[in-house]
Amino acid sequence: MNLNDVEVNSITKRFEDNVAVDNVSMSVARGELFGLLGPNGAGKSTLTKMLSGMINPTSGTIKVGGYNIQDNSMKVKELLGVVPQDIVLYDYMNARENLAFFGRLYGLSGGKLRNRIEELLKFTQLDEKAVKRHISTYSGGMKRRVNIAAALLHEPQVMLLDEPTAGLDPGNRLALWEIIRTLHKEEKTIMLTTHMMDEAEELSDRVAIMDEGKIIALGSPRQLIRKVKMENTITVVPDKITSKLIEAVQKISGVKRSYRVYDENEKIETLKIITERAEDILPNVVSAIFAVGTRIISVELSRVTLEDVFILLTGRSLREEEEQL
Amino acid sequence: MKPKRTIHQVFAIAKTDFLGIVRNKTAIFFTLLFPLFFLIIIGFTFGTQGTGETSRIRVGTVNLDGNKIYVNGTVSQDSTIGNVFVQVLKDANFTVYEYGVYGDKDSNGTAAYDISRGQIKIAVVIPANFTEALSYQYTDSSGIPIPTKARLDLYTDPSDPTGSIIAQQSMFGFISEFIKNYQEFAIDQLPEDLQDYARVLADPITISPSEADVSGRQLRWIDYMVPSTLGLVLLWSGLNHASVAIATERTKGTFQRMVIAPVSPITVLAGKLVSSLAIVYLSAVIMLASGLLLFQVNLYWNIPAIVLAVFLGALSAIGIGLIISSLSKNEEAANSIAVLISVPLQFFIGAFFPLDIMPEPAQIFGEALPFTKLVNAMQGIMTKNLPFEAVMPEIIYMTTSGLILFALGLIAYQLSLKRL
Repeated sequence: MNLNDVEVNSITKRFEDNVAVDNVSMSVARGELFGLLGPNGAGKSTLTKMLSGMINPTSGTIKVGGYNIQDNSMKVKELLGVVPQDIVLYDYMNARENLAFFGRLYGLSGGKLRNRIEELLKFTQLDEKAVKRHISTYSGGMKRRVNIAAALLHEPQVMLLDEPTAGLDPGNRLALWEIIRTLHKEEKTIMLTTHMMDEAEELSDRVAIMDEGKIIALGSPRQLIRKVKMENTITVVPDKITSKLIEAVQKISGVKRSYRVYDENEKIETLKIITERAEDILPNVVSAIFAVGTRIISVELSRVTLEDVFILLTGRSLREEEEQL
Repeated sequence: MKPKRTIHQVFAIAKTDFLGIVRNKTAIFFTLLFPLFFLIIIGFTFGTQGTGETSRIRVGTVNLDGNKIYVNGTVSQDSTIGNVFVQVLKDANFTVYEYGVYGDKDSNGTAAYDISRGQIKIAVVIPANFTEALSYQYTDSSGIPIPTKARLDLYTDPSDPTGSIIAQQSMFGFISEFIKNYQEFAIDQLPEDLQDYARVLADPITISPSEADVSGRQLRWIDYMVPSTLGLVLLWSGLNHASVAIATERTKGTFQRMVIAPVSPITVLAGKLVSSLAIVYLSAVIMLASGLLLFQVNLYWNIPAIVLAVFLGALSAIGIGLIISSLSKNEEAANSIAVLISVPLQFFIGAFFPLDIMPEPAQIFGEALPFTKLVNAMQGIMTKNLPFEAVMPEIIYMTTSGLILFALGLIAYQLSLKRL
């Protein structure tokens, strides 16, 4: 039994002299939410296009649901639901008409198509009034939701989501995250392409970071963060700082050092705890402080993010990449 | 490939494409109604002119008949036939303006001045010896009539070739009929022994009718125009729509979304072909129905022949459109190229002007276009009631060019798939 829904083996894609994807191998297990991270031009879109069967690789093989995409492209296309980065809908049709069109492309018709459209309109929380209006009148968030619904019509097992929240405000972004989480709970295999580190970190089981056509890091977000061995700081504001307290904290496994700092601006004393595993040791820190009879006024945790991992691996930030483009 | 599913896909693509036209006011105008716009403008301008109606032709007359001349050594001022000519012209329903002199373009109140300003389409100058020549008053010393030509001078505006041709043709027909009738009358006035002689001499003005009425019906300009507009339909509805059909989908990304679904690129193309043909036929129906309703065109309706000829012509138009659509970078570029091609071409297919009035290179170019062949075939079938076999050369030409251009379009489409 094949447990991987997506298997990419030594894929390379050349455009004349430019190598867009360079000998990439990876796999995505059934039911896994796999994040593909990287700046613009890293090769994510080319890899996604090859996975969706839009373009062929120069060398290497891709299997989706156990089928080789080059040999069984139609079968693979039926297994795949692709949500493109841009809103790819017909402006002059309403949501129902758009979904009916894309449903027919996947061979749905009659009552089955109608029922599926209604299910998806409910799932994407589009009200009846909105459904009757042309797409051109929708907000960005509504368009994004229909864009996703169009890829779900044929109930695909594997989903490719290409920057699904691009250009959305925080509210709509969170709403879309909920939709993605629901799909994940339904055991869909999801490959999420994004350049938003928090999105990848929040949603993905595993993440691959791509740069210059290659995968430069692969693992769960926590694994990747641990791998870079960067120091985190836990900043505690207790009601009083004693040497007994500092001693107790220093004894906690994983704490590299701790020290008191007087904040001139706030006129308060804070306790700084330096560690590589801030999230892991935080409960122990809190217990130790309570054990010495001290109350905690506030705790702040500055932790390493995937953004930090990316900077460490590539020497530049994703935001800089965006600004340059 | 499942045939039923493929048919559903083809019709889904065609329906979506068709809705894109009918729900977009600009697209409706430029794709479906632009040829109609031309038909209405030109139809109301020239449409009712032709062999049957003359009231919209404004004719200026300069009647010099009655001016003093010498005939057989004596002064004559006979203006009888000149006056009759002008009166009959009015009776024939021409709009007649009378002038004292022909003049020149700078002298207000003269015929030349009004031609230069478009007030009249044609000026007829009746010579001083018009009556004397037509009534055989020139004789030798023994009283035998000497053949003497009366020359009618016609002046038209060279800057308006179409209007000039129409006015000239109408005047030629009128003069020919007039001379024939009045010559007979004049000959009858001669002594009986000279009448046969006069008939042999009779060649007073060498003007012959411009066209034979081969259809057996009286046709107007609009009757020729409406079948010709089917050529415009191919350019505006066929070529223009096909040019943007794929390019628009590619620009919006919907083409890419279609090919990542289990839909073959050929199915997408078939959907576009169906919608393009539907738009061509819808536009053709609008044109022909408008001709019937607005201008009461007097045509022969060989529907199967019309449907087949339009289909064959549409193959060429869609083939060219497919090449443009596939090779263009985006929708905007495709649209510009299509307009750049279709706008000049419409003047070379014989829809607005007869190719005969064009310079020879333009005629050769025009004759090479499959759209011109459609115009020729449609005029033959719809105005002259020619049998289908009679337009077979045009049909064969359109079939050949249609297949070649469509094949080239297919190659361009295949190449465009590599650019996704």
